[in-house]
Amino acid sequence: MRAVHRDQLVGTLLLVFGAVWTGVVYLTVSPGFGDGIGPRAFPLGLGVLLVFLSALLLVSGFRKTRAQAQEAPEEDAETDGFTEKGRAELRMVASVFAVIVAYGFLMEKIGFQIATVLIVAASMWLVLGIRKPTVIAAMAIGLAGGCWLVFGKILGAYLPPGTWLPNF
Amino acid sequence: MDLLYSALTVALAPDAILAVAIGTFVGLVFGSIPGLTFTVALALVLPVTFSLEATPAIGLLLGTYIGGMTGGSVSAILLGIPGTPSSAATVIDGYQLTKRGKASLALGTAVIVSTFGGLFSLVVMIVSVDFVAKMALHFGPVEIFALVLFGLSTICGLSEKSLVRGLIAGVIGLMLMTIGLDDIDGVQRLTFGTITLQQGVNLLVAMIALFAVPHVIQAFTEYYRNDTQTVNATDVSVELPSFRVLKDNFWLMVRSAFIGTGIGAIPGTGGPIAAFIAYAQAKRSAKDGERFGKGALAGVVAPETANNAVTGGAMIPLLSLGIPGDPATALVLSGLLIHGLVPGPMLFIQHPGEIYAIYISIIVAYICVLAIQLLGIRFFVQILRVPAHLLAVAIVVMCGFGAYAVRNSAFDVYTMAILGLLAYGLMRARIPLTPVILGLVLGPTLEREFRTALILSEGNFATFFSSVTAVVFYVLAIGVIALHFFGQSREARAARNKTKQQQQEKAV
Repeated sequence: MRAVHRDQLVGTLLLVFGAVWTGVVYLTVSPGFGDGIGPRAFPLGLGVLLVFLSALLLVSGFRKTRAQAQEAPEEDAETDGFTEKGRAELRMVASVFAVIVAYGFLMEKIGFQIATVLIVAASMWLVLGIRKPTVIAAMAIGLAGGCWLVFGKILGAYLPPGTWLPNF
Repeated sequence: MDLLYSALTVALAPDAILAVAIGTFVGLVFGSIPGLTFTVALALVLPVTFSLEATPAIGLLLGTYIGGMTGGSVSAILLGIPGTPSSAATVIDGYQLTKRGKASLALGTAVIVSTFGGLFSLVVMIVSVDFVAKMALHFGPVEIFALVLFGLSTICGLSEKSLVRGLIAGVIGLMLMTIGLDDIDGVQRLTFGTITLQQGVNLLVAMIALFAVPHVIQAFTEYYRNDTQTVNATDVSVELPSFRVLKDNFWLMVRSAFIGTGIGAIPGTGGPIAAFIAYAQAKRSAKDGERFGKGALAGVVAPETANNAVTGGAMIPLLSLGIPGDPATALVLSGLLIHGLVPGPMLFIQHPGEIYAIYISIIVAYICVLAIQLLGIRFFVQILRVPAHLLAVAIVVMCGFGAYAVRNSAFDVYTMAILGLLAYGLMRARIPLTPVILGLVLGPTLEREFRTALILSEGNFATFFSSVTAVVFYVLAIGVIALHFFGQSREARAARNKTKQQQQEKAV
């Protein structure tokens, strides 16, 4: 993606986010009572500030695009998202997000140790495409066991036992 | 004297020393590995401190911070890749020394001068921190608001190339911290009626998400694209510099330590700037300046002394005023808050014992850095060979545990996933993450003090200009912004002139 396209895209996204934030704050947060300013003022002001700064970014993006178009009109304007590299990146972003969400869910339901074994194995097999069972097993069991020993036993931290599993 | 004795008893207890040693080791490991900064290490170590007493907990964090700052030199010298941004200046001559077969001497010198820089800055810190804190003792809401505003103005220095992007990042950080129950009126803000959001976005969860999750995504993507670099680190040992070498470079070490401490004390600057300035002054003042860049030992001495001296300097505004200068000190600040130690002038009155324990922990951390680096340098060379994607898998587990441990709730893990996604998006949009952290850390104080000042003055905005101290902070904030703005304009003008010149040359 050319830098100027990114500026415009980022500026637009942030502008929309800032506008939605401002609207939601205005509609849902109480303005408060008494002297001074209430609980709504800060988030509202910040939303407006974000809209203003995003607009600045957007304008600078347009300026840069125009300048570049004059200098190199034939330049390829293809964006990262449609290239092979961009697709790989998007896939990894989605995968890491899914892995973390699944880890949180499983940790609570089936406990820290089993969830860790499953998540490590799934990350290596499904996300990274590693096909070496011994490496996967060593990593999964090693990490789960190591964390149990260091966090649970040595440091005495609470490791979720899992609400779906019976208490022994 | 009693205080010092009790602090020694606490800080030198086996569990406290072990915590500092573990922290130093973790910091050295993370600092050694390029791309895996000690800020990530601090974010991952922070949840572990929950189950510890205050002194070992702070010791663990300080050990990680100090170890990480020193560890960056290993890959900088051996591979020519800085392990941390602070060790970027060390690459210039450190890697040349490795090419000339003097890697062991470069590593040994880096360890010694790092320890010198760190301990030097500790002395300066002890002398000045109490003085600054005493000055800050009489601060009311107006002065604290002005001080926090000054702290936020350093976003300019952390904005990398674009001030607008830096400000956007700072505003996003401030916005995130307004979610949840309002501190003063108890009004729900953007909670959408859910109980879980009433506590707001947890600072710790946000920190893990901002620093660790983007790293995991990057490491996974690089592995998937086969972009990973193989590391060819040879077996090395540490060769201590001779007494003569140290004597020859003594004043350079002192000068660099002063530069590091001074720059570290200015919020928004940090290790990389200190290291490059120290390197530049070493080159300028050297009789054989032309040797710099070709493997001069002084080119390792100056940046390594300076970047470690930053640790003590950065602790001055952190402990005395509660202003973190960079992401690492922001994480240390979170650790202090978690354990009930609220930085600021009252800390020195309410917790003097803990303050002494912090000083002692820093000394212990540097002793650990020396011992671990001298004895275990071969191990760190091996660490460099561990594939980044496997380390990233381990980081996923650490992130999951860390976020869950905050409130024993899967909700925080989900929040981390969402914020991690946001952080990666911001990173790809070239919006710096450090100002987000500054906004997260300083946001609640900024709002609370602003509103408290207005309540006390019955809504009179003139109260913000009623104090000389506050006005001084506003002037300082404007000064920081103006300096940065003019610096950026000068750079842009220079770049434009260069382009014009090139175009003219082409035309000719």
